[in-house]
Order: sequence, then structure tokens, then C-alpha cells
Amino acid sequence: MGELRRDPVVGRWVIVDTDHAGENNGFEKEDHTPKQEAKCQFCYGRENQTPPEIEAVRPKDSKPNSPGWSVRVVPNKFPALRIEGELNKRGVGIFDMSNGVGAHEIVIETPDHRKVMADFTHEELFEVIKKFKSRCVSLSHDKRLKYVLIFKNFGESAGASMEHGHSQIIALPMVPKYVLEELEGAEHYFEYRGRCVFCDMINQEYQDQERIVTENKDFISFCPFAPRFSFESWIIPKEHSAHLEDISDDKLYNLAVILKEMLYRLKVTLSDPSYNFFLHLAPLHYEHNESYHWHIEIIPKLTQIAGFEWGTGFYIVSTPPDVAAKHLREVHVTKHG
Amino acid sequence: MPELRKDPTIGRWVIISTERARRPGVFFDIDENTEEEQDCPFCEHKETQTPAEIYAVRNHGTHVNGPGWKVRVIPSIKPFLRIEGNLNRRGYGLYDVMNGVGAHEVIVETPQHIANMADLSAHQIELVLQTHVLRINDLEKDQRFKYVLAYKNYGYLSGGGRVRHCRSQLIATPVTPVRVKEELVTAKKYFDFHDRCIYCDMIQQECETESRVVAECEHFVALTPFASRFTFEVWILPKKHGCDFAKSGAPGYHNLAVMLKKVLSKIKTGLNDPAYNFLIHSAPFRRNGGNSHQWKTIEEDYHWHIEIIPRLTRVAGFEKGTGFYICSIPPEETAKFLREVTV
Repeated sequence: MGELRRDPVVGRWVIVDTDHAGENNGFEKEDHTPKQEAKCQFCYGRENQTPPEIEAVRPKDSKPNSPGWSVRVVPNKFPALRIEGELNKRGVGIFDMSNGVGAHEIVIETPDHRKVMADFTHEELFEVIKKFKSRCVSLSHDKRLKYVLIFKNFGESAGASMEHGHSQIIALPMVPKYVLEELEGAEHYFEYRGRCVFCDMINQEYQDQERIVTENKDFISFCPFAPRFSFESWIIPKEHSAHLEDISDDKLYNLAVILKEMLYRLKVTLSDPSYNFFLHLAPLHYEHNESYHWHIEIIPKLTQIAGFEWGTGFYIVSTPPDVAAKHLREVHVTKHG
Repeated sequence: MPELRKDPTIGRWVIISTERARRPGVFFDIDENTEEEQDCPFCEHKETQTPAEIYAVRNHGTHVNGPGWKVRVIPSIKPFLRIEGNLNRRGYGLYDVMNGVGAHEVIVETPQHIANMADLSAHQIELVLQTHVLRINDLEKDQRFKYVLAYKNYGYLSGGGRVRHCRSQLIATPVTPVRVKEELVTAKKYFDFHDRCIYCDMIQQECETESRVVAECEHFVALTPFASRFTFEVWILPKKHGCDFAKSGAPGYHNLAVMLKKVLSKIKTGLNDPAYNFLIHSAPFRRNGGNSHQWKTIEEDYHWHIEIIPRLTRVAGFEKGTGFYICSIPPEETAKFLREVTV
């Protein structure tokens, strides 16, 4: 018998298929062999093919927009939103609209065209994550912006158009719907119980044990009880925190350690799947800091989202989270990743 | 300059990108690794390869689970939800759980090995719609169910699998799904304030503006919504107000079949036969006591409609993380394009 499970934060029901547990057949496979290296705009020597860099990690003696960098942040050449101008909110009959003001940046994670994030060293991933943080801090000074989403698409079927390792930052003039649902659910829970729902979730995961994949001093990773997707996993700071800006560098290093480990476990368990991950952070200047708890959601792209999910927001998960967590735990990982 | 637009029926913002626009025909290649026709279990004379039929539109004198049918309803081979048992709602610490009780039926829309609904006759589509109605009304009798979604996945990228035989699905669920609930809540709020149906207002504005109308007849209008989530998304709405697809009355199904065939044919011809999903959004069951006090004005405030979503682009991390969609061509342009496709 399958189960209906309710996400305790947003109240979304999902269908977890417990009947066919462990049958991984039918999952998509995608070939990630590099094909675009000869013309890649993100490689050394082609820095002038991207817009001028916003930030970069590079040796002191190297010039901006020249080779030598290890991480590079550039504006998206084809931005979904534009940084110039005012919002100009207006109505058109019953419709509301505004100008598409915002920021759309690309974090080029490595100069090595062939290196994927699951194979980064801890130090390499640490440099990338520090850039996530510094961009959040910098974008928070723009009063028109209310939310920063940091995300990664890996593989064409997960929406990546460039194969060279990169993540993206989109800053929005409003708080997006899914985040709003989480904020409202968490505020509601806090009003009722005086505690953070995410902290309670971490406690219950410790008691149950069966959905935890791994942990280190500052972070824990588990497969959520009511996931939207098979093999979905979260990484969440053990200590309550609403903003990435609050996280010290030594904690960020442990975030790099656990993120690399989770991506590696996924790569081994699911034969190098395409995936998305995104950071759910509190909105910029958000003040209910005691109720919201930031986290990373990692979603391998294994199946097509079909009509039922689009029409209902009701997701069907073919691998129960305890089974997924068990598979992920069983991957052998060395201390250095 | 890109635009942010808000869908008034659900309060969802989307980004209408004007500069990233890619033209029709240059979306990604369609993966059409398909099963051979001889392996298709849905064709006429293969009836024993499927579970026993629940219902069929049959020629006079033919036998149950034998050939001679026009539309056939069978239980899903791999059901997401099961019909047996009770819900057994329970808590598990912080988490809520209930048994996966529900119905999952497959409607085989033609005995012939035809893949796309666009290629069925309007008469055949009408039979399919009437079959939907009959099954929905039958499932309503089961008190455990709150909602039935009728939908179709066409093509591999839409989740339609590798067997290209025209079929749709019905799923009855014991809870009202969250996206439907959001529409209901928004429609009720609008009605409380204006005393009018938000969809009726939208239809009126769209028919006056005309720029987003794809096709129109006396009873239905097909349009690309102002705040489309997906490029070439099309909605079909009845001009006459009604909250329930399955209670909207027989004459309408013929007109709807004609409109559906027209819109699906325009999508097939104009966009090179893409994968698509279509979904019927209709009011939840309104039994005495059940939902009725919660949605007491639902008959007046909600308006059933069909959403058609061609699968032309990938859904990526941004959409999954935010529920905020980026639509790469403004709906005014896609409506114009589809209007001009002759079928």
C-alpha cells in the first residue's frame, strides 16, 4: 500500500509508492561526456566572451577578465531579469505587472572544463560557496531586491545549457511562491508551538535515524519524509539560522565538505545523474529569523514530471526516502572525499 | 525589457522574457525512441494484455474485454493509488500520513494505433470527453474521494512513456490537491470582493483585447494566459459560467471536442508535433456536508477550464526552487503564431 505524506512546513501532500521500493528501473540516464570544450566561453582565454566579471578568485598579480582565476562571477549574457531601471508596478485590467528588474549572475566554479562539482576538492568547493555568500551580501544592498535564489542545473535534462561547471544567482524584486509558502508555514508553526519547524524536523530525524544520510559538526543531510522527488535530499545547518550571511567561514567549509559528499554519493548511487540544487534562504532583510531555517535541496533528475504533478502540485515519489537514504549511506566515502 | 506578470487566478508571478526569446522550431530535439506498434497493448484485439475493463463504449453485440469498442477504460497497471482499503489517517511525530487510497484509471481513446489526440475525429474526441464525464460521476459516489483529475501526457518528454497510443488518465484523490486549492481560494477571494467570477472577467477582457486569443467559437475560447508559466501554454475556457466539467451538460462536449481538436492540431502543425500535457481543472466534489460549507459560493466563483502545456523547454533549478517560471516568448506572440497556423 502506498502512502500519502504531508510536508510539515508547506502542508503539501505527496504520494510515496512503498510497493515498488528499491526498483530503480525506469530512471533516466544521461551522458555527461564533455562536447562543447572547443568553443566554451567559460574556459581560460575566453574571458572576453562573457560580460565583464563582477567578482573573481584570482592571484593578486592577475588582471580582471584574464586567465589565472579559480572562480569567476559574471552577469548572465542572456539575463532573465535586468538590473537597470525601476519596477514600475502597474495594472492592465484585471492583470498586474511590473518591469523585470533583478539580477542574473553566473558563478563559473572552476577553470577546468571537465571537472564536475562531485569531484571538487573541499577547498575548491569552499571558494565557490564563499562567493555565494559574498554575492548575497552585495545584492542585499540593492533596496529594490527582496530575494536571492542560488541554484545549480547539472546536465541538459536538468536545464543546463552550458556543460562547464557553473551555478546561477537570480535576485528577484519579490519573494517567490514556494519560499513564501515555507515562510508562512514556518511562521504559523512558530506561533503555535514557539519553536522552529525545521529544528523540530532535525530532532525527529535524529530519533528516527532511517532517513539520515550523513552529518558533520555543523550540518546534517537527510532525505525528507514527504519529498517531491525520488532521492531528494536536504542539507541543513544544525544550529538554527535563517540567513547564509550569518554563517562563519569555518562553518562554510563544513558546508563544502557535506555538499561535495552528498553530490558524490548521488553520483555513485544513481550512475552520475543530472540534478538541480538550490538554497532556500530567508528573504533579504527578513525579520522573523526565529521561525525560518535555511537549507539546500538537492533533486536528481530521474523521471519526467507529468501532467498529474503539473495539474495538482501533488507529487508521486517512487523511491521512499528511507530506501533512498539507505542507498546513499552505503556509498563508501573516504575522509578526503 | 523583460516583464513580471501575475496570474490573477492563482497569484503566481512569472517572468516573461523578451530577450531570451527563441523562435518556434528551435527548441530542443524531441526524443522519439518509441515502442513498435506490434508491441502496443492498447490496440484493438489486444484486450487480454490489459487489466479487465471498467467501462467501454462498445458496438452493439460485442463482448466485454473483446474487440469492437470505441473508447475503453481500464485500471492502471502501475497505479499510484489503490482502490482498496481505508484512509487510516495518522500522525507520526511531526509528520502526517494516510494510506494511498484512490483510483487510477486509463482511458484508451481509440482502438487504432493513433498517437496524438489531434489526429482523432471531433466525434471520437467527444466520445472520450463523455467517457471522462461518466467515470468522474461514478467516482464521485465513492465518499473517500474529494477530487478527480483528468489529464493527458502526450509524448515521452511529457511523462507519456514510450507507447504511442492515444490515452488519458483519471486519478481520484482523497485530498484536494494544493494547486487546485490555490485556484479555489483565489477565486473565492475575488468573488467575495467583486461578486463576480474572476475567470468570467478574464474571458471578457481577453475577448475584448483579442491579442491573446488563439481561437474562439460561440461556447469556448482558447487563449494564451497573460502570465503563462510555459511557452505556448493554452487554456480553453467555456464562455458560459460553470464550476464543474462533469456537470456542464451534454451539448457542450461536442463544441469542446471541436475546439480541442483545433487547438491540438495548431500545436502539432505549428510546433512540429511536440510533447504536451493537458489537464482539466474542475471543482472538487460537492457532497452534502463535505466541502460544501468551506466552498459555499463555489458554484458561482469557480470556473472549470482546460490547460494545455506543450513541453518545449526544460524545467530547471530556478523553477523547482521558487515556483517562479520563466516564459521565453510573450503570450501575445505565441497567440498570434497559433492563430496564423492553418489546420
